[in-house]
Amino acid sequence: MTDAITVRNLKKEFKAYSSRSGLKGAFRDLLTRNYKIVPAVNNISFQVKQGEMVGYIGENGAGKSTTIKMLTGILTPTSGEVIVNGMNPHKDREKFVRTIGVVFGQRSQLWWDIAVQESFRLLKKVYKVTDEQYDSHMSHVIKTLDIEPLLDKPVRKLSLGQRMRCELAAALIHNPPLLFLDEPTIGLDVLVKLKIREFLKEINDKYNTTILLTTHDLSDIEALCERVVMLDEGKIIYDGALKSLKEKWGEGKEIEFQFLEDVTLNDLNRITASSEVKWEKDEKKAIFTAFAEDNDELISLLIAKVVADLKVKDIDIKETSTEEIIRNIYDRGIS
Amino acid sequence: MFYIAIFFQYVAQYMKTRMQYRADLFVEIFSDLLFQAVNLIFILVVFGHTNLLGGWTRDEIIFIYGFFLVPYALFSSFFNIWNFNERYIVKGELDRILTRPIHSLFQIVLERMELESLFGAVTGIAVMIYAGNNLGLGFSWTDPFLFFLFVIGGMLVYGGIFVLIACISFWADARTSIMPMMYNIGNYGRYPVDIYNSVIRFVLTWVLPFAFVGVYPASYFLGKEEWFLYSFLTPVIGIVFFSISIVTWNSGVKRYRGAGN
Amino acid sequence: MDKYIEMIRIRFLMMLAYRTNYYTGILIYSINIGAYYFLWSAIYGEKDAIEGMSVIQMSTYVAVAWMARAFYFNNIDREMAAEIKEGKVAVELIRPYNYLGMKTMQGLGEGIFRLFFFSVPGMVIVSFIFPLQFSADWTTWIFFAVSIVLSFFINTQINLLTGITTFFLFNNTGLIRAKRVVIDLFSGLLIPISFFPLWAQDVLKYLPFQGISYVPSMIFTNSFSNNEAIQAIIMQGIWVLILIIPIQVLWIIAKKQLIIQGG
Repeated sequence: MTDAITVRNLKKEFKAYSSRSGLKGAFRDLLTRNYKIVPAVNNISFQVKQGEMVGYIGENGAGKSTTIKMLTGILTPTSGEVIVNGMNPHKDREKFVRTIGVVFGQRSQLWWDIAVQESFRLLKKVYKVTDEQYDSHMSHVIKTLDIEPLLDKPVRKLSLGQRMRCELAAALIHNPPLLFLDEPTIGLDVLVKLKIREFLKEINDKYNTTILLTTHDLSDIEALCERVVMLDEGKIIYDGALKSLKEKWGEGKEIEFQFLEDVTLNDLNRITASSEVKWEKDEKKAIFTAFAEDNDELISLLIAKVVADLKVKDIDIKETSTEEIIRNIYDRGIS
Repeated sequence: MFYIAIFFQYVAQYMKTRMQYRADLFVEIFSDLLFQAVNLIFILVVFGHTNLLGGWTRDEIIFIYGFFLVPYALFSSFFNIWNFNERYIVKGELDRILTRPIHSLFQIVLERMELESLFGAVTGIAVMIYAGNNLGLGFSWTDPFLFFLFVIGGMLVYGGIFVLIACISFWADARTSIMPMMYNIGNYGRYPVDIYNSVIRFVLTWVLPFAFVGVYPASYFLGKEEWFLYSFLTPVIGIVFFSISIVTWNSGVKRYRGAGN
Repeated sequence: MDKYIEMIRIRFLMMLAYRTNYYTGILIYSINIGAYYFLWSAIYGEKDAIEGMSVIQMSTYVAVAWMARAFYFNNIDREMAAEIKEGKVAVELIRPYNYLGMKTMQGLGEGIFRLFFFSVPGMVIVSFIFPLQFSADWTTWIFFAVSIVLSFFINTQINLLTGITTFFLFNNTGLIRAKRVVIDLFSGLLIPISFFPLWAQDVLKYLPFQGISYVPSMIFTNSFSNNEAIQAIIMQGIWVLILIIPIQVLWIIAKKQLIIQGG
């Protein structure tokens, strides 16, 4: 299988200007300005195979957008190598962009005042899509995204969810083998999110479209991506399967207990003193949580001990969520 | 040829959009007319106090103004880039432009065109006919062709200068007020350059060649033989300036892509 | 009052941040003045005086009219239109200040900035290039100072009026443009009012526009006698007061409309 994206030692530096404070500082800024060089993306390398769906995650300012902009040919790298769809995005831009689709969640691709289908028509010409290609491909897209009734409405009259579905369709008019989605579900309600995920899975299935997705919403990534690339301060801190991220960093299980009698943390610590367990108490709801290693035997032993000594109202065994894992990684660092 | 097809696609879309706001269209044409009227009033008031302006008569000056309106109308229709910095750099719309397979400047021209400004060309031609009649100007079969050539040249001069100014945004991260002021300077090309001193004449001819939008090409039709050489230079200057602006634009885009925003 | 002064200061700082404007701005204004200077020289030709103004007075008139424009000119009508369209005005109205007053102060902050960084150095540079005449009489300078402050208010009030119309018109960019063109002509920036045909002068007498550019420029060039100057300044003051009425009326109607439509 060929690689859709190859990135080697990619680096991007920006000059960051700082303004001096106060009136006097502003006058001095008139003449000279302070700046320092800030690496936004610092020496990253990764590959994405054709047909993969990859989640690209990181906190604000981690370098996600900068990477996407370099991959789509908007920005040129300071150093390093980028090959996307067998081309260098920074040379031959006009030829290159025909092979990709881009959706910026916070920026419209469509023309504000004209009907959606007019925008589609225009984009169809811009990307030199023939009628046959358009009909066979887009009728399917329009049906799956359920935007048929929106086509004759001007974009300014659409709700955010409706607009986003149209944006997605617009990015796919030329049926690109590679699709970049930058925060595609930002501000959308659950139903629209589900529909969009469903649709992305389907085109990935049908056309073997590679999808690179950045998002704040990890449920998107859980639903779509087998692989995640995680960025922090311009560096890749994790690149691999979402599952092994969970195994490696999902720090054991959480068991929530509610009791019929008054219990203190001391009681619980005494009962489970022989095993490696950490207890926490949620004061408000009187829920006690035990954090233990993900080991079935240990956990059953723990429960047995507690149940033997105390009257239990409810027990709930939880796996650490992806969100928590990622928060943990950012809080504590990868090492 | 692809670009011509795309151009007409955009024009069709533009018409559809504008037809939705017909009242706006009307107000805009009206304010254009008002602007042209103010300039004519200026000329008329001035000639209430003098008979000759540096050796040019009232009707000659009015004719030059009429000519000027035609390339200017074309320019305003297609180079509506005065807020390029805010719209495309600050708000980041240029990113979207750069993900599409058409030359970036051409896309912006298409997105921002304001075809109603073409109405100014009608006014201009009417003014020229009025002044030409008063002056008893003759008409030859070559005139329409040369007129077309000079008008295109004038439009390219204007377009080139304003694209160059828009390019400043690629290098300086500040909003600039040069653009609106340049509109003022552009107006001086419509007066005979021999009333200015030699430095300004030089500037208006070779640095900011606004004289090629009004007085130089119009001189040909007024039969002012001493200016014929400049008249015929009009398309050349237009092409040279516009080419320079395209080259600058391309390297500006390259820089934008290097520096980000 | 503090908050308004703070707004002037903030605007001042904002203007400083946009520094590229000022390297080129003065140069371009000078070219602008120069072009008019030559145009007027050509119009004067061999004549000593037109309508009682000598050619030197005329070039001083042109220079001071443009440099004063840098002071009184602002884009608050456009800003208001943008804020109203984007719905930001609703937020502004919740804040504990007078929106129109705040806009005026922003304009003043900009104006003061341009006065110091644009008009004054620009005037000095222009006076090296073209023959200008500065009055030695200090009363002229005082009259002029009072007069340009008033012209700032008249121009700003007209801008506020145009800005408020955004509440009633879907798109008023055309109106804003038309207003600017009309003001350039009827304020006397392009031609002194005394050059117009008499019937036009009679009409313009009843309009506020000449208070914007004609009056301060005539005072500066000593083309008015002291008496005429005082009368003209009083007229400017009266116009500032009169213009408050339509602004307040429209503003009240606009606010009602805002409440009904919810912005």
